[in-house]
Amino acid sequence: MPEIPPQDDPVVSRPMSVLILVSVFLLLLTVAWSLYGEFFGLRPWRDYQAHFRDLYSSYLRKQISQRRTQEQAFYASADYKKLKAAVDAAGAAALPEDRKIQAQIDVLDRQRAAMTGTFQIARGQVGALTYQLEQIPESDKSGRASKLKELNEAKAVTYTVDWPNSDGSVAPRTFNYDLLNSTFTSLMAQKAALVAQRGVVDKPAKDAQAAVDTYVKENLPGLGSADLAGLQNSVQSMDPKLRQINVNPPGTQINYVGGVGLVDRCQSCHVATDPLVVPVVMTLTKADLGVPKSHDAPFTSHPDQDMLKFHPIEKFGCSPCHGGNGRALDTVEKAHGRYEHWLWPLYYPENADAGCQQCHASDIITEHAPALNDAKQAYREKGCIGCHKFQGFDNQDELLVGARQQILQLESDRKADQLDIPRLNKQGDTAPNNETANAFYQQANNLTVTVSSMDAQVEQLDQRTHSLLQETKKVGPDLKEVRMKIHKEWIPYWLQHTHEFRPTTKMPQFRLQPDEVQAIAAFIWQSGLPGPPLEKQPAGDAAHGKALLESRGCLGCHSVGEGPNMMGGNFSANLSRVGEKDNYDYLVRWVHNPRERTRPYSPFEKRDLGPEDYAKHNVPFVFDLDHSRSPDDGHELIVQQPTVMPNLRLSIQDARDVASYLITLKHSDAQYAPADFMDDPKLVAQGKKLVQFYGCAGCHEIATLEDEGRIGTELTNEGSKPIERLDFALYTEDAKRGVLPDGKKSPRGSWYDLKGFFENKLANPAVYDNGKYKPDPLDRLRMPKPNINSKELDGLVTMLLGSTDPSLPPDYMYKPSDQRASVQKGWWIVTKYNCMGCHQIDVGQSSVLMGLPMYQGQEKQNLPPRLTQEGARVDPDWLKRFLANPALSATDTNRDGVRSYLEVRMPTFYFSDDELRSLVLFFEAMSHQAEPFIPQKLEPLTTAETVMARNLFTSTAAPCLKCHATGEAAHDKNAIAPNFLLAKERLRPAWTERWITNPQLIDPGTAMPSGLFRREDDHWVFSGPLPVSFQGYMGDHANLLVRYMLQMTPEEQRNLLSHAPPATAAAQK
Amino acid sequence: MLGNWHQLWEIASSPDNVPIVGLLFLIPFYIWYAFRQALANDRLIEKLEADPAAAKTAYRKTQPWNPKWEREVHTWPYLMRIEFVAAILVTVLLMVWSLTLNAPLEEPSNPNVTMNPAKAPWYFLGLQEMLVYFDPWMAGVVMPTLIIVGLMAVPYIDANPLGNGYYTYRQRKFAIWTFCLGFLGLWVAMIVIGTFIRGPGWMWFWPTATWDAERVEFAVNRNVDQIFGINGAWLRHLMPASSADYAPILARTIFGIFPIVLYFLLAGYAAYRAMNATEFARKIFRRMTLLQIITTDVFLVLMLALPVKILLRLVFRVKYIWVTPWFSI
Repeated sequence: MPEIPPQDDPVVSRPMSVLILVSVFLLLLTVAWSLYGEFFGLRPWRDYQAHFRDLYSSYLRKQISQRRTQEQAFYASADYKKLKAAVDAAGAAALPEDRKIQAQIDVLDRQRAAMTGTFQIARGQVGALTYQLEQIPESDKSGRASKLKELNEAKAVTYTVDWPNSDGSVAPRTFNYDLLNSTFTSLMAQKAALVAQRGVVDKPAKDAQAAVDTYVKENLPGLGSADLAGLQNSVQSMDPKLRQINVNPPGTQINYVGGVGLVDRCQSCHVATDPLVVPVVMTLTKADLGVPKSHDAPFTSHPDQDMLKFHPIEKFGCSPCHGGNGRALDTVEKAHGRYEHWLWPLYYPENADAGCQQCHASDIITEHAPALNDAKQAYREKGCIGCHKFQGFDNQDELLVGARQQILQLESDRKADQLDIPRLNKQGDTAPNNETANAFYQQANNLTVTVSSMDAQVEQLDQRTHSLLQETKKVGPDLKEVRMKIHKEWIPYWLQHTHEFRPTTKMPQFRLQPDEVQAIAAFIWQSGLPGPPLEKQPAGDAAHGKALLESRGCLGCHSVGEGPNMMGGNFSANLSRVGEKDNYDYLVRWVHNPRERTRPYSPFEKRDLGPEDYAKHNVPFVFDLDHSRSPDDGHELIVQQPTVMPNLRLSIQDARDVASYLITLKHSDAQYAPADFMDDPKLVAQGKKLVQFYGCAGCHEIATLEDEGRIGTELTNEGSKPIERLDFALYTEDAKRGVLPDGKKSPRGSWYDLKGFFENKLANPAVYDNGKYKPDPLDRLRMPKPNINSKELDGLVTMLLGSTDPSLPPDYMYKPSDQRASVQKGWWIVTKYNCMGCHQIDVGQSSVLMGLPMYQGQEKQNLPPRLTQEGARVDPDWLKRFLANPALSATDTNRDGVRSYLEVRMPTFYFSDDELRSLVLFFEAMSHQAEPFIPQKLEPLTTAETVMARNLFTSTAAPCLKCHATGEAAHDKNAIAPNFLLAKERLRPAWTERWITNPQLIDPGTAMPSGLFRREDDHWVFSGPLPVSFQGYMGDHANLLVRYMLQMTPEEQRNLLSHAPPATAAAQK
Repeated sequence: MLGNWHQLWEIASSPDNVPIVGLLFLIPFYIWYAFRQALANDRLIEKLEADPAAAKTAYRKTQPWNPKWEREVHTWPYLMRIEFVAAILVTVLLMVWSLTLNAPLEEPSNPNVTMNPAKAPWYFLGLQEMLVYFDPWMAGVVMPTLIIVGLMAVPYIDANPLGNGYYTYRQRKFAIWTFCLGFLGLWVAMIVIGTFIRGPGWMWFWPTATWDAERVEFAVNRNVDQIFGINGAWLRHLMPASSADYAPILARTIFGIFPIVLYFLLAGYAAYRAMNATEFARKIFRRMTLLQIITTDVFLVLMLALPVKILLRLVFRVKYIWVTPWFSI
């Protein structure tokens, strides 16, 4: 024991209890802190869930009491009581019989229960012995014999069972195995028979109950008060818990986060999106819960339940579509993935459709994603595609280059082979022996065959090229025609004041210095084709031209008028200042046939051919789709202007009238400075360099620049670009700190992300040049300012954000192989030619014409036909013919083949074969028609039936010919419906029958009368007074009429016409 | 551009850099604290040396001191209770740290897009900074090995018997200065530079300058042989024609030996002088064996190579002194 040290030694004597107490207290405090963090701090969803539970529970309570009042009123109604009484009566009537059967079933059940135990034991024993017997090999005869004996003994054993009789008494009964077996089977059979019998007895009561249920369902849709009460009960006892969706489909790995399955815990806060909490038949909004709209509470159910039907949460989770970090839960910021290190942040509401684009990149139209659809069409129509490649968009230009290279390769191979043939023959001639000689001859022979197969291949490629050339369109006009079309002085003005001159133009505004403008304009002007000169056109009637422009359907794509007076579609140019820039003669040719070209272009010779080239080969200077081969090399030429504008098949006089009207559209004070520099040959070289630099040839056809590629970056996977690869230039630091280029604070904080980059780039493509020292204009960013509004900007950003290098498994991508593929492909063509300018193609979509003042009210019947069921209506072969030539005639083209009575006209689009095929398949698929098409067989009419149908056809109650055209001018003056003679080839019988029985279902608002037929038993009966000939006819009247119509002959029609009244004032219908 | 305080704050507050910010304050504090105690002890030693009677009863060589105090005290409870409090406080600190700062996780790595600047964990930033001055083989392999071997050698080359169990400056001046140069100057300072000064592209950004990844800097670093225009022209004539092309390489290799040897001679002499700087030092030096002296001298020379090279690089833009086909210094 050492002695106790003196008290004043600080090491020993300094008391430490306070220090220890404080330290321990601090430790406890941090433990408490960590426990708090564990239960609340890191689990904000607990609070959310508790809050939601209270709000939802009280919402449900309100709903229940409302529903109860409703139900009480409903149950008290006479109709319900009557139905309910019927149920009771039917039940009461069936009750005695039902009870009797039930008693019998009860006895059978008791008997079966009594024998089951014994039967199981006996069956087990016999089964085991049978198995043992089967295991003894055939050769062991004695073994088998003894086992068989054992088996038979077991079967012979008798069992005693206390057997319940039908009178209620119980008596012992003995069974052996076989008897047990047969008794059991017979008990089961008897019971089945009784159950079936009871079903028959109870049927009236069950039917009555079903009627009540249907009635209740129809009149009180949604969840009943009992269901709601159950729901409310479960909601009230809902404990805060982590709610997660695990998606790990077998065979695939959701490669969303580093190659492991998807785990989304979003529902832990967004409780209402869980269908177990809020059933799909309900929708829950903030207003329902009494939460103010501005309040940030994740309590609404998914707004688009319809979409969830084909994107089930169990398969898709949340984050694959919406972005965000599905696993994170500790803060809103983390869970939404809105921080630097999460590469897939939650899309902001204005970009919500970006999620769709990830899998639907191959669609131009995606249902439920209107913003995305608009953006993709803008991408195409505004010419983004002219500079920026995007997979899935038009790429005919690239395919053409490939095809041409193949042709050149084949031709050079062919030449080499052809040189080889005589050489080989010669070698054969001089060969030392027959065998060798034959081998050489054989080789020469083979080469000949190869050469001919190469010819076949080249021919095939030429045909393909023909199609591709027809499909290749440019966003902007053909600038080779510029000298014929445009006033010289206008070009430099336009380049500098693009959006001022035409505020709705698709052309972006380039940032050009005055000298650049002069050089570009001079190059464009001097590279324009010099001729052959245009035909001089006499002036037309402008007033008639205006009427034609407004009635023929031009306004489906073009607009006229400026500012608030603008009318028409925005697919194509606004025509209100055409008179300031265009030459009249050219305009006439354009309106007459916009595809007409001054000279054909030869992609192989890389020049425009003229009359002199044709003259060399002694062929006339004629080039069109039927004369599209070059006289020089036999390959396909570009024979049409690369515009989507169709040919309206106007007569030349009508074209002059329209052009005369267009030329009057101008500002009275329009003045353009003289531009003599345009003819200065010194500017051409610089101009060409600039035109190449700015990528003008992406949207325009320009002489000597036909083969220019796209100058911009490919955007197919732009949404996956690492942020480091985007050059924020001098804004890098500002972006991170949330300071916008205009110096204002960004409302969402840091914009150093893809969204921020795209938004600012699109709003001002030059923005990332700000502050940079770039004395050479060719070093500057060259992207021009697109003519888009803020909604289109959001849409394009959405599209880019969703254009990702797919991180989802391939089977999530929407790449259908069935009919939906035809729909997918067809939309690209439908939107390319703006069919929706005039037609309604899909349910819910409306055309441009439908919104114009001249097609309102009564005038609706002058609209082009609704095409929502076109595939079901018409024969696909006919449809193909019609699309190829809507006049349905080679000579009489100034008319519409089907609806000659309509002012508005289906134009000729010169679709390629591939486009025709795709369009027909598209309409078939949209109407769910089987492919390939097999025509329905029509029963021929008997003589009696012909008479009956004729009577019906001309009866006063159904004067068909009053409205339908016949082809006779006098009669057709007032016709408002197609000729029956077309029906035979055009219409499908099934559709026609549905049409004549209820046209309003197919085309609401149609002039075709409804109620012509009524349903009687299982067939249609004419509603009007029946002609006498119908007496005793049991067949279907509608079907009869359809068969008659679809077998109509011209003679029959003429015959009818002589009896029927002329079509008068039919339009009043 | 200086004045970007926001960014300085971001660097200082990033969870990765918390230890370094701690280091910035804790190291000066402990240095000051240690020196305070060491100097106090030195005063006591001086007093006791002047008073041999008192020295006889002075068991503890530390201040404060009282001749009546017991020579030894028990571990339990007098030491254990202090350690207990320290353990609790460290636990509290670690818990608060882990509660308030999350692990600095980042996105899944993408070998196609590497981060800029890519920085090692804070404790290795000194090594990473050395990569600027030496070729990777030297900075990454040879120098770390030398550091470890040198630290292992310390107990064997320390011939000074004094200073065990108490802080003193007077009795261990040489060791303390060596430590201050090696640890503070070459290790801690390099970590601080690596954290706060080195930005994108490992460029030198003064504090509050914006770390601009696009910054363009003009700097030409040259090898010493290039400065002296050694191209082997004279050697070419002496060599067989077939291998004349190797003349520049050979010339460089041979030339580089001279400055290195010169440095070793100069620095070795300087280290020798340092080891004999005071009377006390000379006394210790005389206790050392030849092996101890050589080892100490060599390690000092090698350690000194780092600041010399940093100076040559940063001030004179020298890349390498000795360039051979196999390694460079």
